[in-house]
Amino acid sequence: MWGLIKSVLAAFLGVQKEEQRRKDFSASSPWGFIITAVILAIIFVVGLAGLAIWVAR
Amino acid sequence: MRSLWRWIVSSSVFLSITSVHANGWNMPRGVTDVSGEIYGLHMTIFWICVVIGAVVFGAMFYSLFRYRHSKGAKSANFHEHTTVEIFWTTIPLLILVGMAVPATATLTKMYDASEADLDVMIIGQQWRWRYEYLGEEVAFTSNMSTPRAQISGEEGFGEHYLREVDEPLVLPINRKVRFLMTSDDVIHSWWVPELAVKQDTIPGFINENWVNINEPGIYRGQCAELCGIDHAFMPIVVHAMEEAEFDAWMVERKEAMKQEALGVDREWEMQELMARGETVFESICAACHQSEGQGAPPAFPALAGNARLIEDREWHIQTVINGVSGTAMPAFRNTLNPVELASVVTYTRNAWGNDTGDSVQPADIARRLAQ
Repeated sequence: MWGLIKSVLAAFLGVQKEEQRRKDFSASSPWGFIITAVILAIIFVVGLAGLAIWVAR
Repeated sequence: MRSLWRWIVSSSVFLSITSVHANGWNMPRGVTDVSGEIYGLHMTIFWICVVIGAVVFGAMFYSLFRYRHSKGAKSANFHEHTTVEIFWTTIPLLILVGMAVPATATLTKMYDASEADLDVMIIGQQWRWRYEYLGEEVAFTSNMSTPRAQISGEEGFGEHYLREVDEPLVLPINRKVRFLMTSDDVIHSWWVPELAVKQDTIPGFINENWVNINEPGIYRGQCAELCGIDHAFMPIVVHAMEEAEFDAWMVERKEAMKQEALGVDREWEMQELMARGETVFESICAACHQSEGQGAPPAFPALAGNARLIEDREWHIQTVINGVSGTAMPAFRNTLNPVELASVVTYTRNAWGNDTGDSVQPADIARRLAQ
């Protein structure tokens, strides 16, 4: 699970090790990455909105 | 070689410093706290860009020169370097966030138009500005006052060519003034660089902005949204006064408006109407219908010798009051007062050989406006 989150965060930043990329692409199903990415994206957007609301208050 | 480098470096530094501070090259620091903050942000971001540019291009040109092919340099062949990639992704991210934090704080301040001491409605019209001091019963239209002869080249340019008006917007210093901005016809934009205000005025919408001016003075601006043939001829002049001086001006202006309203009921002499009408025509109508009433057909018909205008007095009055839909002729019922409307109709019915001999009284116009 932690490996999955690390790979998605690396994709958010746009930097990944070639070795890790190969490992991720050899996974049997992409759904784990997709679901983790959607959840992290929602957390990111909500966090950003929360930060903006907090600062503007 | 060394002296060449020294010359390049010293002249670049000189150029960047002089161009930043030379009058007219850079944005002005302005005369409000917000304009000062915007200027500070602009300069901070400018110098960040200068440093980034110097580092990036410096590294690039140094590498090009130092490791050139003729000196036997061999290109490295590696696929990735995670540490370097994280480094060059994170640094710009931090720089952007570092710029966004103060920029957002300033933006928040710019949008806080609450708790103003004075509200001024700014209405864009083709091609003039109307200012209404809300709750003060003072309102007037501000027209460009540069003579047409200067524009057509018959006279030399004046000191404030195309940047002068017959009546400036008068504001007090050290008081928060809220602007409520809209338009009667098309989108205009009220822009005064020294006040750091550049706000679109949109028909059907009311935009807000505000200023708290620190220094008395005359501040000039222009319409910043292409709004038609005379877009260049609707300048803005703001006269910022000491508070006591502003209060005295307000009392005087209210009295003048009261006197103008009283003038509606009396009988006006033909000469009075003609004199006033000529002034109104020059500032409001001449932009389209030209100084001699010759017009610019087909968009702007001639008034001199216009058969319908001469024969149909009622149609003439209605046209000026209500405009003509589907044409460039706007309604002037909200722009001009009854005295101005009556005098400009009288003037155009009798100038340039129209010679109808009839006049229109302000009281007659006031009755029509009330209907």
